Amino acid sequence: MSVVSGLLSNALVSGAVLALAGLGELLAERVGVLNLGVEGLMALGAMSAVAAVSGTHDPAVGVLAALATGAAAGSLFAFATVVARASQVLCGMALTMGGMGLAATLGRPFAGQPSAATFPVLPIPLLDRLPVLGDALFRQSLPVYVAFLILPLFLHWLLFRTRHGLALRAIGENPAACDAVGMKVLPLRFAYVVLGAAISAGAGAYLTLGFVPSWSDGVTAGRGWIAVALVIFAGYRPWRIVAGALLFGFVGALGYLAQARDWGIPSAFLGMLPYLVTLLFMMLPALTGRGRVAAPAALGVAYYRDQR
Amino acid sequence: MQPGELPRTVLPEAARTAFVRMRGITKSFYGARANDGVDFTLQGGEIHALLGENGAGKSTLMNVLTGLYQPDSGEIAIEGHVRRIASPADAIEAGIGMVHQHFKLVPAFTVAENIHLGWNETPFRLDPASLAARTQALSDRFGLAVSPGARVADLSAGEQQRVEILRVLARGTRILVLDEPTAVLTPAEVRALFAALRAFRADGNAVILISHKLGEVLEIADALTVMRAGRSVATGSTAGASRSSLARLIIGDTAIPATVARNETDVPGAQAVPLALRGVSVRDHRGIALLDGVDLDVRAGEILGIAGVAGNGQRALSEVLTGCVRPDAGDVLLDGDASGPRGAREFADWGVGHIPEDRLRTALAADLPLGENAVLRDYRGDAAGSGPFLFPRRLARLARRIIDDAAVNLRDSRIPARNLSGGNQQRLVAERERRIASRVLVAAYPTRGLDVGAVAALHAGMQALRASGVGVVLISEEIEELLAQADRIAVLFAGRIAGILPVAQADAERLGLLMSGQVLPEPVS
Amino acid sequence: MRGFVVQRVPSVSGRVRNAAYAVSALVAVFVAGLLLAALGLHPLALGGSVLKQSLGSRFGVQDLLLLASPLVMCGLSVSLMLRVGLWNIGADGQFYVGAACAAGVALFGPHGSPLLVQITMGLAAMAGGALWIAVPALARLLLGTSEIIATLLLNFVARLGLDWLVTGPWRDPHGMAAAQTARIPDPLPKLPRDWHLGGLHWGLAVVLGLAALLAAAFRFTRWGFELRICGANRDTAAYAGMNVRRRLFQAMLLGGAIAGLGGMLELSGTVHRLQSGLSNGYGYVGIIVAVLAASSPLGCVFTGLLMALVLNAGLVLQTQGVPSSAALALTGLILLFAAIGERLAHYRIVPTRPVAGAGGVA
Repeated sequence: MSVVSGLLSNALVSGAVLALAGLGELLAERVGVLNLGVEGLMALGAMSAVAAVSGTHDPAVGVLAALATGAAAGSLFAFATVVARASQVLCGMALTMGGMGLAATLGRPFAGQPSAATFPVLPIPLLDRLPVLGDALFRQSLPVYVAFLILPLFLHWLLFRTRHGLALRAIGENPAACDAVGMKVLPLRFAYVVLGAAISAGAGAYLTLGFVPSWSDGVTAGRGWIAVALVIFAGYRPWRIVAGALLFGFVGALGYLAQARDWGIPSAFLGMLPYLVTLLFMMLPALTGRGRVAAPAALGVAYYRDQR
Repeated sequence: MQPGELPRTVLPEAARTAFVRMRGITKSFYGARANDGVDFTLQGGEIHALLGENGAGKSTLMNVLTGLYQPDSGEIAIEGHVRRIASPADAIEAGIGMVHQHFKLVPAFTVAENIHLGWNETPFRLDPASLAARTQALSDRFGLAVSPGARVADLSAGEQQRVEILRVLARGTRILVLDEPTAVLTPAEVRALFAALRAFRADGNAVILISHKLGEVLEIADALTVMRAGRSVATGSTAGASRSSLARLIIGDTAIPATVARNETDVPGAQAVPLALRGVSVRDHRGIALLDGVDLDVRAGEILGIAGVAGNGQRALSEVLTGCVRPDAGDVLLDGDASGPRGAREFADWGVGHIPEDRLRTALAADLPLGENAVLRDYRGDAAGSGPFLFPRRLARLARRIIDDAAVNLRDSRIPARNLSGGNQQRLVAERERRIASRVLVAAYPTRGLDVGAVAALHAGMQALRASGVGVVLISEEIEELLAQADRIAVLFAGRIAGILPVAQADAERLGLLMSGQVLPEPVS
Repeated sequence: MRGFVVQRVPSVSGRVRNAAYAVSALVAVFVAGLLLAALGLHPLALGGSVLKQSLGSRFGVQDLLLLASPLVMCGLSVSLMLRVGLWNIGADGQFYVGAACAAGVALFGPHGSPLLVQITMGLAAMAGGALWIAVPALARLLLGTSEIIATLLLNFVARLGLDWLVTGPWRDPHGMAAAQTARIPDPLPKLPRDWHLGGLHWGLAVVLGLAALLAAAFRFTRWGFELRICGANRDTAAYAGMNVRRRLFQAMLLGGAIAGLGGMLELSGTVHRLQSGLSNGYGYVGIIVAVLAASSPLGCVFTGLLMALVLNAGLVLQTQGVPSSAALALTGLILLFAAIGERLAHYRIVPTRPVAGAGGVA
């Protein structure tokens, strides 16, 4: 593998985690719920995937376990924010703390060991023979294809090309309008928050069954937060989220390369890079004078029919 | 006692064919009983006006009919069949559609997208071109002109209303509910709306019209129901009804307070101009002009009325007159001086009081206690503290006095302002601002949400300020209020002053022309 | 017929909200107890031993107070920003930067009178904390960037930076441990012996004094009144002539400074050297401290002690074979229940009265 090919491959692998987590968060935010619990969901997904494969040695079971755990935790979050209409910021923080704490507690038997199963490489016939790009792009595992192609393609179609997507976006913009035309606002919100949470937890499964691949306390390392920021500066659009994830994956991969080649930069500074770049990118839309990114108008606001 | 044995105002024959029959509807919210055993009947082929003061329960009753609220008790029959309307979807299914006072549209979406939102006839695959074509077809069929590709956020209030009506009609509505539909319309738009409603009625459909404009009601409605304090107090035909008979029904047995007449006497020193605008322009964040080259003199000892359809720059005008917003071009002159105070704090210190149009979002911190809202202006004064320090006891005493002077009928100043009735909120704001308005008071829609007695008290307060030499700016959409209170009336249209008339030369017709952007036939001195 | 309906109150008073938080925290602890019981542990016995270890002896109480101090400081930092309606999720980072600045002064600064050194350390820590939040603060006020995510991202940067310092340039040249500096020469002095709180340092007095000072500033100054209005409704504050941006900026910088000072007190009073993991997630727990206290500074002292008890429970659980991270899960649970409880406090069960006009008995 050449340097370029290796860099790109690494960028895809580490970017896939962010892309999946970001796409999950996108669903919640598009229906108007700010889920700050992505970090906790990823930790839960990562832990439960490792736990599930330790017995079965089947990564598919690991993914299912992560999705189910994410859906369960997401249901609790959705109950709190959509049904009880509690503060989304607080519940998100609670989900992060609770999820990380629970994952660390239950995951202790597996901590530090290599995962019992990982995702197999799935080469795309013919395309994987392409020089440079073939190795990097088309000799990846299934979750990478899902993160960068299948899921964004599907979500873009769903959100912008279907009647259902129009309804979802409208709920994030103006739930009162949706209510008035007879849509079921709270059930739809609930469903998509849960679905998004499952996908974010699935990102955790790829983290421990593909990218790292082992479980340890703190393995998520703030990626859930970067994913939340990613959704904001991607302007709530699936393809831009994926592009941003690739960019961050690239920054991360550059860090590994620098470390491996020993360019003399302390690893701590390389480690800071993704967070600093994220911060910079969050400010960028306003800095470049393109104005603030249009967030869904009702993002973070609980819906009451009898609002006075 | 059987419900059927209750005395009814509607004949049994009519009741069988009634489009809508609501019986004994009761709905309470915390601290308020909005509907208290309300009966309401709507016949096919009629335009039925629903009258009453703010808070009488009209909107609540209609929200029950359209499935937004579930009544605590009572039943609804549609065309003779008792139905449970558990959600807006049920109401739409039953042929009931409502156009709300605050439009329920998605501003970021196009007209076509809003029309097709949540509609089971919308094609599953979304294609902008076909949505636009479908919208155009609907627009032609119902005779309501809309532009399918336009973003709703860019439309005027009148255009948005057409979109809402079209959306409701497209779903096969036979019972159309309109909540204060004319408040945001120019006189010409009102005529067009009424023509559309008559055509709708002619097809055998029915309209429920919530309104407080009695003239309009007498012009278009066939029947009416009057609500007072959550109950239905009268129902019948509009034939033979007059403005005064309706007004008496709406207000009830309580003595009608004498309307406050304009003080015709000149005030000494009335020629002074404490506050003036010269070529003032204000733009929003997109660069669109909210005010465009406005010249205006606020004279001491006069009430300057500002007429105009809502959304023509009233908010920007009140903000620029009170220092909340600085003009992008032009000067704000205080005593003829453009170099004076600049921000809201300096304007307030100089003696400008401000009753803004949106009291819950701007004038009050709704979740904070009444007491802290009462001292929002006075907390910096010597009565509340000294230097950087504040004395909580003195502050509480001050708050108590302001609350009492405002005649807010609540003993506990720790209650959050949001939990107060709209009338109490407005009285508190009016009193607080009156206290600091030693030079000028800018009042935007100050009588919104007040009952008749409170309106009279507020008008008396403004006349008293005028008599003491304060310049009062009264922004209102009620032409009758302006004609009764103001000395001069300026008309805002599209961010410009379309004309300024002394009240002696002003009448509803001429103001209406100016409000729709037309030029008066003869020049105005 | 008499029935009941549930009605929502648009706004509730502070007293009702506080009661809701108290009940929620108790329910969360109860649920945690049920979970522990499901794991085959004895929650009552565990709770008893937590209370006994924390409150049963003078040493236990001293340890509790030592643990509570940084929690209260972070809680005060979050509270101050909550006053103006902003979230400080970055108290952890500000705490680290403050500690690092203080350590720099202590290790490499000139030696002077102990009091002067402490004051310089404190000022350096406050400046560091304020500087650390300055970028998110400016981004929030000038560009509209979410302060939640911006402050949080900088936590990771601060933690990595501190790791670099203590493993690299500032590493203790004579020590065995890989990730710590040398002991600082002049730590914060202990409280006088005859106060019978021998294990405690003057930092505790600073914490209590600061809480009282902030409480007084909120209640007895016009500045405090303006912060409250700015937090409740920024449009109203601007309408009333307040300089909203300036107040928000002041609150953010001061919040960062307080968290930074917390780091200095922890370094100089308790740990005596800069080391990796100096803040054991204190900044995050500080959010719960502030929320449960409804952002009242004096309330933070009590909720800080409460959360110190919860963290202590984690240590006790560890002796029972449950990882200490279970305490983090418990804090999450408490926060979730508090958030839900605050909303549920807005509902009242009201008996329905018979319809007046329908001929029934009034």
